[in-house]
Amino acid sequence: MTRLTDMPPAQAKRLAELECPEFTTRPWVAGPALAQRRVAIVSSAGLVVRGEMPFRGRDPEYHVIPGTTRPDELLISHISINFDRTGFQEDWNVVFPLDRLNELAADGVIGSVAQTHYSFMGATDPVQMEPYARELAGRLKEDAVDAVILSPV
Amino acid sequence: MSALGHYLEEEGIATVAISLIRPQTENTKAPRALWVPFELGRPFGPPGDPAFQKRVVLAALRLVVRASGPVIIEDFADDDPRARPDPAWHPPALPGGAPDAAPEAIAARLEAEIALLAEPHRRFVEQHGRSAVALSGLPIGDCGRYVAGWLCGLAPPSPREGFSAPLLLRFAVDDVKAYFLEAAAAGPAHPSSRQLGDWLWNDSAAGAAIHRLRAKYMTAEDERLKLIAGNFMVPGTRQRSAT
Repeated sequence: MTRLTDMPPAQAKRLAELECPEFTTRPWVAGPALAQRRVAIVSSAGLVVRGEMPFRGRDPEYHVIPGTTRPDELLISHISINFDRTGFQEDWNVVFPLDRLNELAADGVIGSVAQTHYSFMGATDPVQMEPYARELAGRLKEDAVDAVILSPV
Repeated sequence: MSALGHYLEEEGIATVAISLIRPQTENTKAPRALWVPFELGRPFGPPGDPAFQKRVVLAALRLVVRASGPVIIEDFADDDPRARPDPAWHPPALPGGAPDAAPEAIAARLEAEIALLAEPHRRFVEQHGRSAVALSGLPIGDCGRYVAGWLCGLAPPSPREGFSAPLLLRFAVDDVKAYFLEAAAAGPAHPSSRQLGDWLWNDSAAGAAIHRLRAKYMTAEDERLKLIAGNFMVPGTRQRSAT
């Protein structure tokens, strides 16, 4: 229903050509094998834990999602309505694959799963998010995370 | 998303991004990305299919340990099987109503349909153990009444501290949509998002009410209300030029 190719042409073009920062560096961090990695999810779906104030407008901050959060506690508060939400309504792993990560850790495919995960609101200008993203890197390191899976909507 | 990857990687954390819009990812040159051919909103594919989701997660994580970068964009080959319509799905039976009815009639129909869908919605929650109805913080009956009040031109004040009236209207509309879509998805069938959306926007009182709200307030004097009505109620694929 909401693939880029199904959208009105003007809207699809706007999304495809959305202005992105131009980076002059090409960072690249190597590390151990997957079985030794500690993995966190960083989403841009505007995820909030039930009871929290939803993201408003284009808030640049991130919200914290403890690894102990239950599926019935996680909500999407992204400002955009131009993506499917019915998949997430049925199964949070469609957007936030915590159950899959926990299974991969239990099977020894990855080392472990982070204690805490995070969400931004993806419609925000990335330049506004930058200081929060850099601060978040410190929190990830404190949790010994060495692999992040970035999940959009 | 790709920009976040850039910032985190610069700070020393290895990242892999799921990409739903390949041109954006190509422009940003994320360190590592897995493009998936799924609809927006489903970065890990089909709901209720752990094996498929795990393949997506693993395909992404394997890029983290690949030594051939920087800048890897790989494509995930398989389509989301749940994107196909399910002919076994039947939408909830609703009494229906004239699309050109007066706002008061659509408002009454909305509140009646919310009551009618209580049982299928309860079954959805029991079946999946979750519900996304909660952004407004209001019980669904109060959400319906709040939306109905705006539909009838009453501009009801926000009952929640910290939420302006237009903002609460946005979240109440989100909750009404989620409630109807969840109720419609209850049961053993696996409707596609398009099937569910067709029913919501064309056949339900929620669709009629939200289309009408957009038309009514997208030219409002209140800038916040105008912005919300014009851009954050009806998806671009469902907008009508006149209602």
